[in-house]
Amino acid sequence: MQQLRINKQVKGKVILMTLYLFLSSALLSDGNTPIGKYTGKDDLTKTDQKVEKVSGKSSANAVLNKQANPMPVYGHWRNFTTKDGLPSDKAYCVRIDGERVLAGTHDGLAVYEKGKWTTYTTKDGLPHNGVVSIDVSQQTGDVWIGTLGGLCRWSAGKFEIFNQLNSGLPNDLVYCVICDGKDVWASTGGGAGHYDTYTKQWEIFTEKNAPMHEPWTYGVSAGDGKIFIAAWGGGVIEYTTKTKQFKDYTDPDGEMEIDLLPDDGLVHDITTATSWADGILWVSTYFGLSRYDGTHWKGYFDHDSGLASNFINFVRAKGPVVFICTDKGLSSTDGKSWVTYKKNDKRTDGMAIIKNYGRNDDPATNKTTREMPLSPSIGHNFVIGVDANNDFLWVATEMGVSRGELLK
Amino acid sequence: MDTTLELKEITNLLTAEKMSRRDVVRTTNYKLLLIVFLSIVLTVFDSMGQDQKQNYGKASDEIFPYQRYQKAYKYHFLVPIQFYGAGREKLPPTNLKEVRIGFLGPLEGSVIVSLGKQMLQGATLAIEEANKRGGYHNIPYKLMIHNDVGLWGAAANEVVKMDDEKVWAFLGSIDDIVSHVALRATLKLEIPMINTGDPDPTFTETNIPWAIRVITDDRQSSYGLVNQIFKKDGHSRVAVIRANNRYGRVGIKIFSETATRVGHPMVIEERFNDGETDFKTQLERIMVTSPDAVLIWGNAKESALILKQMRAMGFKQLVYGSDRMVSPEFLKIAGPSAEGVITTSQYNPDANNLRLKVFQSNYLKRFAQEPDVFAAHAYDGMNITIEAIQKVGLNRVLIRDVLTDLKTFQGYKGITGKKTFDQSWNNISDIWIARVSQGKFKFTPSPSMDPKQKVTSKNDSY
Repeated sequence: MQQLRINKQVKGKVILMTLYLFLSSALLSDGNTPIGKYTGKDDLTKTDQKVEKVSGKSSANAVLNKQANPMPVYGHWRNFTTKDGLPSDKAYCVRIDGERVLAGTHDGLAVYEKGKWTTYTTKDGLPHNGVVSIDVSQQTGDVWIGTLGGLCRWSAGKFEIFNQLNSGLPNDLVYCVICDGKDVWASTGGGAGHYDTYTKQWEIFTEKNAPMHEPWTYGVSAGDGKIFIAAWGGGVIEYTTKTKQFKDYTDPDGEMEIDLLPDDGLVHDITTATSWADGILWVSTYFGLSRYDGTHWKGYFDHDSGLASNFINFVRAKGPVVFICTDKGLSSTDGKSWVTYKKNDKRTDGMAIIKNYGRNDDPATNKTTREMPLSPSIGHNFVIGVDANNDFLWVATEMGVSRGELLK
Repeated sequence: MDTTLELKEITNLLTAEKMSRRDVVRTTNYKLLLIVFLSIVLTVFDSMGQDQKQNYGKASDEIFPYQRYQKAYKYHFLVPIQFYGAGREKLPPTNLKEVRIGFLGPLEGSVIVSLGKQMLQGATLAIEEANKRGGYHNIPYKLMIHNDVGLWGAAANEVVKMDDEKVWAFLGSIDDIVSHVALRATLKLEIPMINTGDPDPTFTETNIPWAIRVITDDRQSSYGLVNQIFKKDGHSRVAVIRANNRYGRVGIKIFSETATRVGHPMVIEERFNDGETDFKTQLERIMVTSPDAVLIWGNAKESALILKQMRAMGFKQLVYGSDRMVSPEFLKIAGPSAEGVITTSQYNPDANNLRLKVFQSNYLKRFAQEPDVFAAHAYDGMNITIEAIQKVGLNRVLIRDVLTDLKTFQGYKGITGKKTFDQSWNNISDIWIARVSQGKFKFTPSPSMDPKQKVTSKNDSY
C-alpha cells in the first residue's frame, strides 16, 4: 500500500513535471500568454511559412514582382546626423514639403533643401528648440510647427507664436499639429485645440465637451471630413467637421492588462497616433496596431503579423500603405503584406523583412518571409516620425534622419 | 536430525527473510532518495511555475478580468518593455557644479498642498543626507523644485523646464492627472521619472519604460479592502461614497470590479466634490439602501466630515476608507467618530525598524513635523534615485536602465518596507490595513486574496 502510494506520488510528480514542461514550452513559444493560450477560433499565433534570404536589386525586384499589388520597398538609404548639419541627432518628426524636407529635432528645426541642411532655433523666432510635429497647409503653404514650448506658424519667413498665454492653445507642449483646409488642429496634454485661420478663433476640446475620458491628447489626423484624435486612455475621438458631432472608439474589453479579442475594436485605450487614408483609419498604441474600415476593426501585434514591435510611436498612412514607427524598426503594411526596415545592432547595414501576408490567420497560401539586406539601412531602429512621397521615404529616428529611395 | 534440519531450515528462512528485508529496505531507500530528489526539483519547478503563472497585479484567478470565462488574446505587463533608443553612449558633462534632480509636486494652488509639502520635505532630507556623504563624487545634488499646479496641463510644461534645466531624473507627483501628463512628456524627453505618491493603477499601465513607482497602488488597496470587507469581516452589501475626481473614480473602479467578481457588487455609489461640506443628500440615498458597511474613498478632510455626518445621522455600520484617510487631519476632524474605521495604508509607520525610526526622528528635527506617507515614500524614492545615479553615473538612459532592470532595486529595503516591482515597474508590495483604535491608527498586514500566496511583509522589522 505504502509503495503504491509512493508510486502514485512519483507518477503524480512526473505527470506534473511533464505537464509543466509541456505548458512552459507552449507558453514560451508564444511569448505572450503565460496564463493560458487563447482559445478563440482565430488562433493567430502561428503560421506555416518559409523564410528566404534574398540579396541584390534584381532579387528585390523579383520579390516585389511576385505580388499582384506589391508594397513599396525603399533602399539606397542615406542617413543624416549632426555631422551632416542637423542641429541634433534626436529627431522627432519629418515632413516632405515639395522639393524640401522639414525635420524637427530636440535642438531646432532643420530644413533640407538642395542637398543642404539649414537650422532654425529660438534665435530665429521659434517658441522652443524642441520641434515635435510639423505640417504644411495645402491652402497657403504655411508651415505649422508644434514645439515643446508652444505652436508656431512659419509664414513669409516669419514665425508667429501661439501659446497658452496669448491664444487658446490648450497646452504649450504640442505633440501633434495638422492642417485641414483653413483649420489647424493641435493635440496637447491639456486637450485638443482647433484654430480657425479665417476667424482666428480657438476651440478647446477636453473631457468636459467631448467624449474623452481624460483631456490628454497625443495625436490628431484628418480625413473624410473628420478629425481623429488619439486620446491617451480614451481611445480615438472622431469629430465630424460638418455636423460638429463626436463619436468615440475604445477597447471594448475595458481592461488595461489584456486585449480580450483582437478584432472587437481598438487593441488598447492608450493611443498614440491616428492616420486616415483610402477609407482606412489606422491607430497606433503602445500595445499594438488597429485598422478600421468604417465597419470592422482588425488588430495587429508583433507575434501575429509583420509588425516590428507593439510599442508604436507614430503612424502615417499614404494611400493604401501605412508606415508604422516602432521602437524596433519601421514597419509598413497595406493590411495584406508587410515590409519592415531594421538596422543591425552596432552596424550601419540592416534589412527589409518582407512578408506576403497580413496576419497569421490570413487565408493566403504559400506564406513567405523574405529578408533583403540593406547597406546602409535606416539610422536607428527607434523610429519616431515618418513621411513619404512617390519616390522617397523620410524617417526621423533617435540617431538622425534617414532617407530611402523607392526601389522600382 | 529432524530437529537439526528444522533448525537449519528455520535459520535459512530467517536469513532469506533478513536478506529480503534488506533488499526491501535498500529498494525503499533508493525510492525515497528519488522522491526527495524529485520533490526538490519539482518544488523548484513548481515555484518557478507559480512565478510564471502569477496574474498581473497579484490578482487571483477569481478576480482577474474574464479569467473565469475566457482566456484573453493578449496579456500585457508580463514582460517588461525595454527602451531601445539611443543615448547610452553619451559621455557625462564635465565641470558640473551641481547634479540636478527634479521635483514635481503640489506646492501651491491645490487641495493637496499639505501632502506635496511632506513629499518635498522627504525628498529634501534624502538630498541633504546624500550631500553630507559627499554628493556625487564631491559634487552636491540639487533639487530643482517645480509646482505641478497652474495652467491646465502645467505638468507637461514643468517637465519641459526640467529638461531645459538638464535634470538627470525627477520625482513626481501625487495627483494622478499631473502624474499622467508628466509621464507622457517624460517619454518624449527621456527623463527617468520616479513616482512616490500617485497610487493610480493606470499610471504604470501605460507601457512607458521611463517610470517606476515606489508606492503601492490602489489596485493592491482595492484587493486588500475587498478581502477585508467581504472575506474577513463577512459583509455583503457595501455602499460607496467617493470623491468626484480622478482619484475617486479610478480608485473605486478596481474595488467595484473586484467586489463584483467575488459576488458582492456595490449597492450604491455616491459622489462628492473636493471642498464640499454637506453630504446629507448622498448619505440619505445611502441610508435607503440599508447597507451593512460603507466605504469612503476621498481626501482626509472630506472623508472625516462625511464620517461625522454619518454618525450624526445614525449610521451604525462599520466604515472603511481609502489610504488618504490615514492622516492626523482625518483623526482631528473626525474625532471620536473615527473609532473603528478601517482603511488601507501603503506602509506601517509604527514598524519596529531602526532606519524608519531614525528617519522619523531626523525629519521631526529638521521640519518640526511628523512625516506622513508621502514624506516617507519620497525619502525612499529619492534615495533610490541617488543610488541609481551613484551606480551608473550621469547618463539618463543608463539611470533608466538600472532603475528598471528589476534586479538592482528589486527587494529594495526602504524605510517604508521592502519594494517589489512587477514587469511594469509598479510597486506591488503588500498593502497594510489600518484600524483606528483609541484615537490612533493601528497597522496590520493585509491578508492576501489568493490563499496560495503568502503575505511577505508581516515582519514589522521589514
